[in-house]
Amino acid sequence: MTVTFLASAHLMALDFQQRWNNWNINQISQQDPVVSGSTKYELLDGSFFIRLVTGHGPPIHPPQPLSALVKGMDGEINRTVSVTNRIIFGAKQDEPLISTASNPPDTSFAIKLLVSLFALFFSIDAVTFEKETGVLRAMLALPVRRWQIFLSKLAAAFSGLLLSFTIAYLSEIAFLYFAHGLVTNGENLLRALLIYCTAALYGLIFVFIGLFISTIAAQTKIAVTRALLVWVSIVFVLPNASALLAEMFFPTQSYNHFNVRLQEARQQIRQTAVPADPTDQQGGLQILKQTMPRIYEVERRLTNEYLTREKRQIHYARLFAVLSPSGSLSFGLSDLAGTGVGAYDSYLDLLRAGQDKMIDAFTRQLDLSYQAGVKLVQEAESVAGRQRDQESLGASLRSAAMSLLSLLSFAVLCGWAAYRGFERCDMR
Amino acid sequence: MFNILFRQEIREIFSSFIFLPALVVLTILVTLSAHIQARWYHNLVEDYTLRQNINQAVSNETVIVLSRPLPPLLPFFNGVYDSLPGEFKLQNDPVLANPLSGDVAPLSWLFSKIDLGFIVGVLMTLIAILLAHNAVVNEKERGTFRLILAGPVPRRMVLAAKLACVFSLVLSTAFCTASLYILVVLVSSGGTVALNAANFSALALYFLACLLVLIVFTALSIAISVSLRHSSIALGVCLSIWGTSVLVWPSFAPYLANSFLSVPLREAAQREIALKEGELSRAELTEHRRLAEALKVQNVGVESAWSQYLELRRKWLERRHVEIGRLSELWKRQIRVQRRFSNGVASLSPYLIFNEALGIVCDTGLESYENFLVSVEQYGQNEFQPASFLHLSQQKSWLKSNGAGSPFQPRSFQTRSVTLSRRLKAVAWPISILFIEGIILLVISFFRFEYYDIRL
Repeated sequence: MTVTFLASAHLMALDFQQRWNNWNINQISQQDPVVSGSTKYELLDGSFFIRLVTGHGPPIHPPQPLSALVKGMDGEINRTVSVTNRIIFGAKQDEPLISTASNPPDTSFAIKLLVSLFALFFSIDAVTFEKETGVLRAMLALPVRRWQIFLSKLAAAFSGLLLSFTIAYLSEIAFLYFAHGLVTNGENLLRALLIYCTAALYGLIFVFIGLFISTIAAQTKIAVTRALLVWVSIVFVLPNASALLAEMFFPTQSYNHFNVRLQEARQQIRQTAVPADPTDQQGGLQILKQTMPRIYEVERRLTNEYLTREKRQIHYARLFAVLSPSGSLSFGLSDLAGTGVGAYDSYLDLLRAGQDKMIDAFTRQLDLSYQAGVKLVQEAESVAGRQRDQESLGASLRSAAMSLLSLLSFAVLCGWAAYRGFERCDMR
Repeated sequence: MFNILFRQEIREIFSSFIFLPALVVLTILVTLSAHIQARWYHNLVEDYTLRQNINQAVSNETVIVLSRPLPPLLPFFNGVYDSLPGEFKLQNDPVLANPLSGDVAPLSWLFSKIDLGFIVGVLMTLIAILLAHNAVVNEKERGTFRLILAGPVPRRMVLAAKLACVFSLVLSTAFCTASLYILVVLVSSGGTVALNAANFSALALYFLACLLVLIVFTALSIAISVSLRHSSIALGVCLSIWGTSVLVWPSFAPYLANSFLSVPLREAAQREIALKEGELSRAELTEHRRLAEALKVQNVGVESAWSQYLELRRKWLERRHVEIGRLSELWKRQIRVQRRFSNGVASLSPYLIFNEALGIVCDTGLESYENFLVSVEQYGQNEFQPASFLHLSQQKSWLKSNGAGSPFQPRSFQTRSVTLSRRLKAVAWPISILFIEGIILLVISFFRFEYYDIRL
């Protein structure tokens, strides 16, 4: 487990460093001058001109430091985004490099797989082995309460898991701290501690599941096989099913569809506002002053609709994820690391606020003089181009609350089931 | 005798608790995932039609948007289709193809879609391991192994019966799973998934890859079962190997490759290109200014000036193409080298080789994506830029009847078609590796079983 966690930490730290360097270069390039110019070929019997413009691309938002621990949705934010009267998403930054057909090997992945598997293996033969060897009958015949025996088995399995996980996790945090200079400030260390506690709770759920299966199975190998089937269902099938259910019941339109609707709406408005006399400049300007605010408002409305639907789908996926401890874990850990649903919501809200600012500025610009209008737009651009901050710990905890509550409920439910199974175990 | 042994093995497996519950879980999962994949593909087809309409509307002599066609077998194996940009914008100036955004899909970072490749590669291989891991070691634990080997039945027949039993169950389950999946996809897709002769032959290759990967994992379990004495240890070893090759390695391999052969991300590469573009633009504008002044002084007519302007423009476009193309080609070469290295690292896992084979067969892998990129570049170089330049040369803005020339209509974009023979050639190496691995493991099982000393 320690080797896997260390390997995961090293690879994800390198990935973070690469994304961070990429973001730095993007920030530097925002200061690069835009090269533009035109040349007119003025001849006796006619003229023509050439115009060339080359500039830098839109900005990217910075990666979150704890994405080295839990990448979450941080990869989705790793793309250029231009905020004007529209929000224009660019291509993802690391697409050319890595075959992204698989999940990133971050700590969440390692915990989801290894902690659950180890928890099952530590607990799966706690009862069946003693059943097979006949020791359990002798033990139950002693004047010891069943709950005490159950508790001792639970403590043994859980402490074994916790010891190995703690060593692995501490090694990982120490590695990130000393070798890569990540997870350095107090807040990030606290987040790391919360991630540890959540992972421990997750491990406890699987210890209970292992004990329960061990109680109802007659032989160890039957118990192991059942445990594996349950593990595959909980760790792979159910979490993916939650995302699929969210996509099925709360579909979002694709980004292209959204762009088509924007284009159609703009064209409709422009078609209704054709000047009677195309050569009348004043008339044309008046019509422009009337149509542009309408176009901006339509863009604002459609963008809000699109982003609201995206957010709704993600929120419902998180809700459906409570069907499975692994689903809750994925969402919970990403929220605690500041790379989850809460952080993504804040990012979309930031973009939306930027768009609102720009649209207000463009609308007011129509009634101002040229210089005043340009100044207003520049002020709005500096606000709209604000980079996202790391989500506060309080906000992360609020966002992770549902997932943590779900894990706690699973722990109570599985613990109760395991205990009742053991309590009612008929040794005849 | 073989039939008796075979039937006995079948009875044992059916009386265990693995096969039937696994079958039930598979059936539910296959139906659900096939339906969802079919609906997703249906939406993609609609989206693609929409995109084609948008692209036609926005394309002109300076900008054209090219979309990657939808692979018809996408619902069967998603590969990297979703992860990589499927649209590129070609501009005459600058001369590069730039990817467009692709869809916004935050959930895909947490959960990947379940397709038939996942069901076979992850779930069915696990079922194969659970069925096969105690084929021999179970008998060793019970003590019946010595009795069987001491009897008049040849050892090869005993092993053949065990192998035949496990293989027949696993492979028939795979066949039923695949058939159910295909049926549900065809029904749920509303006609968008069409199975013509070419697709059927691709599906046949798909099924062959599925069979081979299942044979590899089954043979591995049997080889371990023959070699060990306790079923719990055999299961532990099988699961460790399965977990490493199916779960851990696919996630670690690409990042490991990146750590050894790191390539700058897009922004780093784009900045270098943008700076070079700026430098070339400044230089070109300077030359245009000089030429404009010279022509004005010489009182040259507009038509003659236009020809000289076009000549200068062509020279600079070629220079941009060479210099910016060199930078871009350097970056792309680094990416190609990294990808090949990543493929090499990934080939340690039969599951990743299986995925590679499916990606080739379904046109959703990295190779078909690179094929698309090459087609985009060639289209840009051979079709769009010459047509754009020709159209530009006809746009004489000083004439009142500007634009009276022919409308800008380049040839439509086509990716290089993949014939069956090309597909067979491309899929030969992963299929061969799976085949060789399967044979090696079966040979190991055979020799271990054949020379097992019952006195020990």
